[in-house]
Formats: sequence, C-alpha cells, structure tokens
Amino acid sequence: MKPIMLQGHERAITQIKYNREGDLLFSSSKDNKPNVWYSLNGERLGSFNGHQGVVWCIDVDWTTTRFMSGAGDRTCRIWDCETGKEIGCITSASSVRTCMFSYSANMAVYTTDKAMKQDCEMFIIDTRVVDDSTGQQDPILRIPIKGSRVSSILWDLDDSIISGHENGEITQWDLKVKHLCFSYCGSKHYLPEENFFVNDMQWNKDGTMFITASKDHTAKLFDAKDLLLLKTYKTERPVNSASISPIMEHVVLGGGQEAMDVTTTSTRVGKFDSRFFHMVFEEEFGRVKGHFGPINSVAFHPDGKGYSSGGEDGYVRVHTFDSSYFEYNFDY
Amino acid sequence: MAKKKVDDKNSQNDDSTKNEAGYSSNDEEPNFSDPEGFVDDISDEELLGDILKQKPKETDGFESIIIVDGVPQVGTNRLDKLKSVINKIFVKFGNIVNEYYPVTPDGTTKGYIFIEYSSPVHAAEAVRATNNFKLDKQHTFQVNLFTDFDKYEQIPEKWEPPEPQPYQGQSDLHYYLLDPDAYDQFAVVAAQGQFVQVWQNTQPDPTLVEARNAWTQTCIKWSPLGTFLATFHRLGIALWAGPSFSQYKRFAHANLQFIDFSSCEKYLVTYAPQGDPHNPDQKKIIIWDIRTGLEKRSFNPEGTCSWPIFRWSHDDKYFARIGSSNNNNDALQVYETPSFGLLDKKSIKIAGIRDFNWSPTDHVVAYWVAENKDVPASVTLLEIPNRNEIRKKNLFNVADCKIHWQKSGDYLCVKVDRYTKIRKEKNEVKYSGMYCNFEIFHMREKQIPVDSVECKEPIQAFAWEPVGSKFAMIHGESPNINVSFYEVRVGQAPILLKKLEKRACNHLFWSPGGRFIVLAGLGSNGGGSLEFVDAHDFLVMNATDHYQMSDVEWDPTGRYIITAVSFWKTKVDTGYWLWSFQGKILKRVNLEKFAQVLWRPRPPTLLSEEKQKEIKKNLKKYYPQFESKDRMRQSKASKELIEKRAALMEKFNQYREQRIKEWQENKSRRLALRNNVDTDELDADTENVEEEVVEFFIKEEQTVID
Repeated sequence: MKPIMLQGHERAITQIKYNREGDLLFSSSKDNKPNVWYSLNGERLGSFNGHQGVVWCIDVDWTTTRFMSGAGDRTCRIWDCETGKEIGCITSASSVRTCMFSYSANMAVYTTDKAMKQDCEMFIIDTRVVDDSTGQQDPILRIPIKGSRVSSILWDLDDSIISGHENGEITQWDLKVKHLCFSYCGSKHYLPEENFFVNDMQWNKDGTMFITASKDHTAKLFDAKDLLLLKTYKTERPVNSASISPIMEHVVLGGGQEAMDVTTTSTRVGKFDSRFFHMVFEEEFGRVKGHFGPINSVAFHPDGKGYSSGGEDGYVRVHTFDSSYFEYNFDY
Repeated sequence: MAKKKVDDKNSQNDDSTKNEAGYSSNDEEPNFSDPEGFVDDISDEELLGDILKQKPKETDGFESIIIVDGVPQVGTNRLDKLKSVINKIFVKFGNIVNEYYPVTPDGTTKGYIFIEYSSPVHAAEAVRATNNFKLDKQHTFQVNLFTDFDKYEQIPEKWEPPEPQPYQGQSDLHYYLLDPDAYDQFAVVAAQGQFVQVWQNTQPDPTLVEARNAWTQTCIKWSPLGTFLATFHRLGIALWAGPSFSQYKRFAHANLQFIDFSSCEKYLVTYAPQGDPHNPDQKKIIIWDIRTGLEKRSFNPEGTCSWPIFRWSHDDKYFARIGSSNNNNDALQVYETPSFGLLDKKSIKIAGIRDFNWSPTDHVVAYWVAENKDVPASVTLLEIPNRNEIRKKNLFNVADCKIHWQKSGDYLCVKVDRYTKIRKEKNEVKYSGMYCNFEIFHMREKQIPVDSVECKEPIQAFAWEPVGSKFAMIHGESPNINVSFYEVRVGQAPILLKKLEKRACNHLFWSPGGRFIVLAGLGSNGGGSLEFVDAHDFLVMNATDHYQMSDVEWDPTGRYIITAVSFWKTKVDTGYWLWSFQGKILKRVNLEKFAQVLWRPRPPTLLSEEKQKEIKKNLKKYYPQFESKDRMRQSKASKELIEKRAALMEKFNQYREQRIKEWQENKSRRLALRNNVDTDELDADTENVEEEVVEFFIKEEQTVID
C-alpha cells in the first residue's frame, strides 16, 4: 500500500474532505489556499485562491457544485467547484472555525471564534442562491454560544446541528420552522467527565452515528439521536481526527504528539501513525506510518477502499487498501 | 458562675412557661429567683465539666520541681556563693520560680535542694541534662523529678507476673511458592506510591493479586528471598508478607532513605543520611532483627557514604564495612552476628583499602588496595574469621578496580582500569592511555591461579553468567560497540567464544538461569534497543526495541522479562512491557506516572544438583504435559475473548437494527431534501451518472526501429 503523496501545500494541513462520490479530495491548510485533487491519481485539479489567512475548515455540497471554506481572515467564502471562482463572501467579527452545508445544501452553518472581545457565535445562512449579495444578507439564525467555543460541527439532515466544544461538551440543536420563522428549540447535551477539546466529528455512512476525536487521547462513537456514548477508542496521544469506514466495521484515528511539543521529541515518541480500530470491539488491529508530524485530519474514501490523511507536515497521503485489509477478519 | 448559669436556665424555663401562658406578661421584668421548693439537681460537673478540669489541684506544680542530691554541704557564710553556683547551672534550663535549701539546726545545708521551674518541660530537661553532673571531684549531682519519688514509692511489694500474651499465629509467608503452576509475582508502583499493585504472571494474562492506594510514599523493595515487601514511609519502613500482604513488622526510622536486607533476610539495615531534625539523637544507621523487630545495633557515620555501607556474607554470619579515620580508609571492620560486635573485638588494619566484596558462597572477602608511593596496588582474598590471606596479586598502574564475583563463587573477576601515563595537576590526578585488564581468579583450584584478559577499548559493561562459567562484556566506543563472550575453564585461560560487532547496547542482563542474555540500550542514549541472545550458540533470537526504556528485569526463573519506562526518567509513554525469554512480546501495559516494577525474588531451589540434572535430562518427558496445559489455557482464553466479542456484536447489532429501521423510514425526508435523488448508496442514483473515461499519462517510451 504505497500512498500517493499530495504535495501542494506549504504549511500544515487543517482539514481534508472527499466529495460524495469520492472522485475528488479537497484539502485546506494554513497556507491560505485550499486545493482540490483527483483522488484516483493525486493530480491537482485546482486551488481556491482568495483567502488571506489560515483556512480552518472546508466543506463541499452533495452535488459537488459549491465549496465552502472558513478562515482566519474572518471570512467564510463559497466557491464554484467547477471554475474555482469565489461566488460569495461573508465577513464575520472573528475567525471562522467550522463550516458545513446542510444535507440539502439549501443552508449552511458556520461558527466563529471567541476572540477580540467577540463571543463565539453560530450562524445559519441561506445558500439556495449564492451571489454577491450573500455577504449582506442577514443569517437565518444567529445563536450566540455562551460557554465554551465550538470546535467542530455536523448537520443532521436539515433538522438539527450537533456541535462539539472546546471543553469536550457536545450539544444538539433542534431547528424548527415556527411561524415562518426559523428558530431552535430544545437541545441535548453530552458532558464529559473531564474537559478536553473535541477536535473533529464525522458521520458514519447513514448519518445515525458519529465519531468524535478528542485531545483526551480518545475517539468516541456516539448515537446521533440521543447523544449516547456507544464506544471509546483509546490511544496514548491526542486524537485530532477520526473517521468511520462506510463498508467495514472499522474506524481510523489520526493524531500524535501536539505540534508545539514535536520539535523537542523524535518521530518515534510522537506516534504519528494512523491507527485502525474495530468499531465494535474497540480493539486496535493496524497502524499506518508515514507522517513526520501529527495527523490533523483523516477521511475514509466513500467507497471504503482507501483513506487519506493530512498532517502537520503539510502532506496529504492518499492510501488505497491492499487486498489483505479486506481479508482480515476478527473472530467472533 | 455556676450558680448564675443555673439561674439563667431557670429563667429560661420560666420564660417558656410564660410563653405557653400566652405572652400575657412580656413587658414584666423576668423573675430570677428560684421558685419555692426548687432543688438544684444539676451538678457543677454536668454544667461546666470542661472548666472544672482546669481547676488548680493541690499537687499542681509538682511536675516542675526537681530534687538535686549531692550538693556540697556548706555553712551560712558560704550559702550565697553556693546559691550563685547552683543558679548558674540550673537557670540554663528555664525560669526558676522557687528554690529551697533545707538546713540543719546549726545552719549548714543538708546536701540536697529543691528547685521549682515555671514549667514541667524545663524540669524534665534539667533532669535529663544534669543527672550525674560532676560539680567537682567530690560532688556529683543526682537529679530527680519530685514526682518520681511518689511514683517509685507506690510500686507494690509483691511482683505480679504480666499476663501472657496470646500467641499470634503467623500466616504462611511462603504461600506464593506453592503455586501449582509456579507463576511468579511482580509489583508495580505508579504515581509516587499513590498506588501499588501486585500481579501474578499467570498465563495467558496476568492476574491482580493485591492493589492498594498510598501503600508506599516513594518506592518499594522486595527482600532478597522474596518473603517481604518493604514500603517506604516518612517515619520508617513497613514489611508486608503472607497471602493477604498483612503488615509483618514496622521499623521506625524517621527520614530514612535507603534500606538493605541481609542475604538471608534475617536483618534489615536502614539509613537516614540527613538524620531527623525533630530527634537529633536518632542514629543514622540502624540494624534491625526482622523477626523480632528489635534494634540490634546503630551507627552514626560521619559525612555521607555510598550505599550499601555494610556488606553481608552469604549466610548472614558476618557483615563488614570499610573503616576510616581522618578521611583515610585504613581498615576493614568485620562484625559478627548475632552479637553484633566487632570480630575478635578489633578491625582488620588495611591501609588504603578501596573496595571489598564477599564471596557469594564462602566466608571469603576480596578487597583491593590502591597504589601508594612505592607499594603497588593489590587484590587480596581474605578468609574470615581466621584472617588468612589466601591469595594476593600485585597490580601496577592501576586507576580503579571493580570486583565481580561469579554467583556460584567459583570465579572472581577483577576488572582493572590501568593507565599508561599519569599526571598530577593541583591535587587532581589525571590518567591517560587507559586500558583494561580482567584478572580471573579460579577459586576452586589449588593455590587459586589467576588469568588475565586484556582489552584496549573502554569497557561499558561486564557480567558473569549466573550459572555456568561464561562472562560477557560490552566494549568499544560508539558507533563501534561490540559484545564479547568469554568462557573460563578449569586450568585454562579464558577463551573468546564470540564477538558480536556493532551493537547498540550499554547494559547486559543475563537470565537468572544462565544461557540467555539480553543486550539492552538503556537511557536516552541507548535508544531502547533490545537483543535477545542465546549464549549457547550465540543466535540472536530477536532484535527489537522499547523506546526510552529505563529498566530491564528478568523474572527469577528466567522465563519472562519486563522492560519498563519509568516516569522517574522520562515523562511520556511510561509503562512496562512483558516479553518471553525469546523476545516475543506478550503484553504492553501503558500506565500514566508508572514508576517501578519489580519481580518477587525466589529463594534458591531445594533440589540437589543431581536431581536438577536428572530433570534436565528427562525434560522431554515433561514437555507434552505442560504443552497440553498451555494449549488448554490458550484455547480457553481465546474462547472467552470470542464469547465477549460475540456478546458485544450482538448488543451492537440490536441497537443498529433499531436505527436502520428509523433511517429507512426517513427515506422520503432525505429524498425531499435532495430533489428526489437517491444518495443513500454510492451507486443508488443511476440516472444522473455520467460515465467518464479518464486517461492518465503513465510512461513515455521511445523505441528505435531499424
């Protein structure tokens, strides 16, 4: 399983995402330019030029027509996938940390940082038509986040939003149309015993479970409806990202020694491996080496026959599984 | 005071009765006088017992009085002089409030006086310090507390024997040796003794025997035969033994830092190098009898010394240390047990003795003496108790010596660091052109012949095979570090058996059973490399690593080995790994703030040598029996695991079924949101698919056609 190395970023990768079909792989990094690649051979299709700060988050809609990115330059931009042109730009008061299209892609959500005397806020915007006026429109809904800031986000269809917070809290926001007005009513919480950053959240294939990656060295599998903790996968290092296989009962975890400590330790101490766990038994069964910095984002290919990882070292590695991966079975 | 309280109480009672009457007379002055016929039935004790306790008693202050006997008898003319002398002595201990000099009718003092201090503490201190105080040739003070007279007067005439204490049966201290499968135990300490676990290394997974929080304050130590587990506390040492690790004995020695057991674990030596600031009388070193818990002897060495100070002979009969005067080591002090006195009441004068070691099997001490002017350095073997020099070897150009006894006492190896040049610079001696000699003493041969092995390279480590006659050493400088194996045979110089070149290791760990050896790279420079070598044919069975490991520990039978990363050395990835002797990883335990892991030692085998040989010869007979046992355990464990997994899977599938049902019911909602395009499966949407053929440029080749 020799990976394809995607060398196009000059700084640490922040997030990678496949489109729905899996033929394209989007990546963002701290160098301001998100890229899109053919996942099959690693050829770069193009870049999205325009941001003037670290791009923290990206998403692509289900039809792969529009691409969204949030950045440290306090903008959330929407782009045309085919041409790479910016079609909408929303300026906010502080860095945009998370963003995501809803299931129908008629709406999108983004959250801002708690910084510069600004509280963390969640914005839900209408993305049915995106043009120059998008930046001036009022959001459909604006939810100030009082407590800990949002560090990752997920849409559940178009009906609710699940947010992961810096203190490890996970909140579900139910959105309902009431009197022609959009509002949220009720929310569910998951409060961990200790406060640890939720770095990443990703859906399983059917959107009924999601996996969180946390600084507390674990990844956790949750039921989306009740925010019920189903499984915990333990490692010895902070987990930055986790993904669920669409075809096997496997999860992959990426992480490693925190970037700020890396220079003082060798790669062997850092443990910058992708680690594979059985989803139900919580047992680790495989590791993939390669990165020489912590892994910041991992994603399974939608067909489950490969996965990619993006690291602090600035590389994206696109892996295709060997046949032995599919032959390996747990006895039970 | 008491009365008034009672009154208060009464008035309250009155009030409450009034209140019951209906607040009719709230404005009236309360009536404090006792109603008619009132009997005060509350005693003073009941009311203010706590204050009454402080009431002065007639005998109060007696504790502060001391009686001084042996005072000079003087006439009235010299009384003032006497008083001033006495005052000078006793005022040091506290404020004297009263003094009384009884006199005879003619005015001379009676030779004893009373002194009262302001506090009993001062009186006690005065008694302690001035009892037997010599005033002059004729007069020695006998000082006692006044209350002591009372105490000793009340001793009954008839002596009654004390009640015999009921016999406390000791639990079986060696129960762990009776384990039918001979599993060994090991103890694990994590987070500064916050918690200690004792595990039994059962197959296929270890089982927890005992776990306690805050069992020790720093670390733990097993006794050399494994009977006791010693835990360190601020106030001393506690020994634990028996099946439930109940407390066996405690040894109070404040601020102690080091302990050492005697070879047969009869005695325990404790050392508190800093002493105890609250108790300056506490000795720095105390030797205890473990069985009785009594102090046998104590020492107060000056300065700090390297531990262990005392070295014990193999049977606990003798122990010895290097004696020094004026910072010069000039004697070997050998003590006898159980008297704990110096052997023959005098130490053995050896000028310039540097180091010594007992033979592990005989009453023989090997020591070496440094060079001094024209006298060469020498290594001497000394028989105890008759002090016979049985062998002496002179050595030249010696910088340092290390004495290594082979475990069975058959051989002694002295590693001699030698120099070719010496320079003296301002009290500092600098050696150059270092090389190394190994002097091998054949202990079991007549007149103890000595062989030499020379090595020009710096030596990193040396180790005897515990059973057998091989030794191994690491020599050379990085990156050319080699490991050499030698064998010593009767009547022959040591032969080089094998040299393993370019190895990354700095420590040698022989299996306690011999034959197998682990070459390890410890510490931050070592990189944690591990090589498992069979010294029979020098086959490297496995080469692997445990990054940043700080400790390597063989189990006492040589079947397993533990490598550990202690948080005393590194902060990340602390924990211990369990390996088979062939270097197969069995278990990785990562434990936050893991500190220490120690195998429980075993006493030497009780089987005779013939018996052991017989077993080795018939090993094949026993194989199938144990193999089938192992197989059964293995299959049982894997069966358990599979059952556990099956249960997990079933539970998970049940949950999933419910969710998948809900998900299918939601299909219309999903279709509505995505313009009736089915995106549930990758290939579910057949209408909107466009097949696209992408050709990639792979390779360009030019073929020249003629």
